[in-house]
Amino acid sequence: MENFMDLLLQPLRDFGLTIFEFIPNLLAMLIIFIAGFFLSRLIKMFFLRVFRVINFDSWCDKAGLTAIIRKGDVWSRPSDVSGGIIYWFLIIMFLMIGLNALQLETIDNLTAQFFLYIPRAFSALVILIAGYILAGFISRAVLITAVNSGYHYAKILAEAVRLLLIVLILAMALEQLQIAPGIVIAAFSIVFGGIILALAIAFGIGGIDAAKGIIKGSEPEHKDEKKNEKEREAEYL
Amino acid sequence: MENTDIIVGIASYNNAKTIGHVVKAVGAGLAKYFPDKRALIVNSDGGSKDGTPDIVRSATLDHAAIFLSHPVYPIHRISMPYIGIPGKGSAFRALFRQAVDLNAEACCVVDADLRSITPEWIELLLSPVIKNGFDFVAPFYSRHKFDGTITNSIVYPLTRTLYGRRVRQPIGGEFGYSGKMAEFYLSQDVWESHVARFGIDIWMTTEAIANDFKVCQTFLGAKIHDPKDPGSDLSDMLLQVVSTLFNLTERHYDKWKDERGSSDVPTFGFRYHVGLESVKVNAEKMLGIFRAGLKDLRHIWLDIMGPGDLGEIERIGRLSNGEFRFPAGLWVNVVYDFVVAYHRKVMSPEHLIRSLVPLYLGKTASFVIEAENMEQEGAEAEIERLCLEFENKKDYLVTNWK
Repeated sequence: MENFMDLLLQPLRDFGLTIFEFIPNLLAMLIIFIAGFFLSRLIKMFFLRVFRVINFDSWCDKAGLTAIIRKGDVWSRPSDVSGGIIYWFLIIMFLMIGLNALQLETIDNLTAQFFLYIPRAFSALVILIAGYILAGFISRAVLITAVNSGYHYAKILAEAVRLLLIVLILAMALEQLQIAPGIVIAAFSIVFGGIILALAIAFGIGGIDAAKGIIKGSEPEHKDEKKNEKEREAEYL
Repeated sequence: MENTDIIVGIASYNNAKTIGHVVKAVGAGLAKYFPDKRALIVNSDGGSKDGTPDIVRSATLDHAAIFLSHPVYPIHRISMPYIGIPGKGSAFRALFRQAVDLNAEACCVVDADLRSITPEWIELLLSPVIKNGFDFVAPFYSRHKFDGTITNSIVYPLTRTLYGRRVRQPIGGEFGYSGKMAEFYLSQDVWESHVARFGIDIWMTTEAIANDFKVCQTFLGAKIHDPKDPGSDLSDMLLQVVSTLFNLTERHYDKWKDERGSSDVPTFGFRYHVGLESVKVNAEKMLGIFRAGLKDLRHIWLDIMGPGDLGEIERIGRLSNGEFRFPAGLWVNVVYDFVVAYHRKVMSPEHLIRSLVPLYLGKTASFVIEAENMEQEGAEAEIERLCLEFENKKDYLVTNWK
């Protein structure tokens, strides 16, 4: 009978012991959470003050970063956006550290994976930001050059270049994050190839007259005509 | 190498067809007007593939045939490749180096593609330095009313307004300068910028004026030369010249901020009327690019000019080709807006200046339409009016600069 009671009570004792052993971990987690929350707020405030001192918003305006975040429909000041990013990054980090304090094998693995993933996420973010800026820069260069050369479809051309570059950048970022890399590469190849083919067809059809003109212009009699013109072109300088 | 009194520099790249004539004219000018000076002709070549340096070395002049009876002094000439960014500016840098190394008293540079150069050009470019003590001699040509549109609509009015001196052809191409001036140019660290290319002319003129060197101009008659290399298109030329001009504006703010009005610089040479070749201008094509800019570059122009001036630009964009006019006051605002945008780094300098091209073409088309039936004097009076508009609105630039 005594053995039977032991059989009944032992799991309860073990459970109580486990709970008793777990409570300090739980407390540690809560303390880390709360401390992390206040520390994150403090660090955010510190950075906001530093941004104000170094005139970060005005610098972002000049560098064109404000315009970029406006395009993403974000209307806060660049310093507030940066402060927010830092704050939420710290909150997530403290959350993971806090969970780690629970010393549960599953959560330990998850935390380890999270910290291993941070460099990848960071480089993907850098690729996205740098790529977005570069795509905008190249697209604007194409737009201005095409307008100055008298092309009628300058805006479409510039948007096509931007689209191609954004597809390329997204594929690079997803590949960096290792999110279904096989599917990403296949999707990228299909989308990129499709865009190139569509552009080739569009230019092929749209450029028939231009090509005719070029071929005609290189014929000998047209060259002679040009030579015989007595007037000269105006000089710019 | 021993000291030399005069150095005449000729920058070249594939100019085999014309450089022989230029060397002969320079040689004749030196022999006729400076027979007692030790002179050297230096060809600074950018790696020509058509034997340009060989022609420089072999070009000979029959002095007896030209001067009838005149003592013949040998004039040495060398042809050397320059190093650095390919362009006229890098070629000039090598010439400045020669002038400093040989302790030259006076120098001048002439283009290698000139067809209208005469021996008198050498006298006109060098004498103000040798006989009158000037440090910098700018050229002054008779040009067709539709030639030199970047000079007439941007470079001359802006240089005159900023620095207060009326140098009519600040980017003319031929210049005279003293040894002291060459030494100053050589000591500047600008050879990795647009100064190494087409920016060299405006840089030389502006630095001479802004640094209080003695500046004058000299009338050379008509300038006729080979057509420009088709590879060097308008957009690139405008970028190199205007970018250098804006850079200098940034650099010499303290010199120009309080300057108001302008004064003539001493002008040498006998002014005479020259029959000029007619010039072909396609105003319709220019207006096409202006309107394309209005449609596609609107968001860029809005960042640079703001809604006020852009609204005015949009208004004139709606006019028909025959009625199209780009008011002088509006053009002055546009140029000043671009200068300020460059100063405030609103966007990359290259994009900023290239986006000026359609506006510049709109202004040029307007001038072509207005001046179509004008004589040369009438067209010149229009440019004078534009310059006065620039001068009258200078406060707009100064106020917006801060």
